[in-house]
Amino acid sequence: MAKDPEKIPTWKSDFPFQSKLATHVSRREFAKFLGLLSGALAVSNGAIVIRSLAFPHKPLEGEHFICNEDEVPVGEMFQFEIEGSKIIPYILIHLEANKWRAFEQKCTHLACAVRYRADLNQIECPCHSGFFNADTGDVIQGPPPRALPQLEVVSREGKIYVKAKGAT
Amino acid sequence: MSDFRTSQNQAHPNKTNTLLTGIILLLILFVSIQIWFLFGALNNALEDNFYFALTTFIGSLILAITSFWLLRYLPDPIKPKLKKNQQKDNLPT
Repeated sequence: MAKDPEKIPTWKSDFPFQSKLATHVSRREFAKFLGLLSGALAVSNGAIVIRSLAFPHKPLEGEHFICNEDEVPVGEMFQFEIEGSKIIPYILIHLEANKWRAFEQKCTHLACAVRYRADLNQIECPCHSGFFNADTGDVIQGPPPRALPQLEVVSREGKIYVKAKGAT
Repeated sequence: MSDFRTSQNQAHPNKTNTLLTGIILLLILFVSIQIWFLFGALNNALEDNFYFALTTFIGSLILAITSFWLLRYLPDPIKPKLKKNQQKDNLPT
């Protein structure tokens, strides 16, 4: 194949020795980069689909012992974790005598750790002043889009257990 | 000697500009929609919603294919014919 003497070789245009050429991004190159970015975004969206197919979300199985009743006085909160396919932090709240609630500790807004405020009787996310109902986990105020995921609390013989809501 | 392409470029000197601007604007629009889709698919609330992830993936894929297809219509740079001794001093466009 005969070489075109007027054509600049690709290696020369890729590694120019003039700094002006090295930093120059033409509109064509920019458009090609946008095409590449578009492909990368489609691939990442595909990765989410593959991930949800390969690792489906499993609900909590069985009952888990958390603590003894006398360890958490009324108006206090207790932080715990349940080890499963992934470790999720939870909080156990002793609202009133014989009234317990357990919620996921990750705020539904940006996954900050929430805490129980006994003076307000609400759950607070200190990052962006989000407030949740301590009884139901519903959003009262602030940016969180959804209620806190809740676990069912079972009190038996002075011991506190949790299980997935609706599980037998 | 002038051919059809050269005379057309001379008659419409802004054509390359308009085409490039249009293509880049469309690409930016597609990429923005794809970022929106990706953000939606990543949202925690959709952990159990497989069909949303699948739908956004199909949409994103269609947009990516359209983006690649659009690149075919990038206009070629208009290179003035240079003499050999001038070429090394000029920057390629």
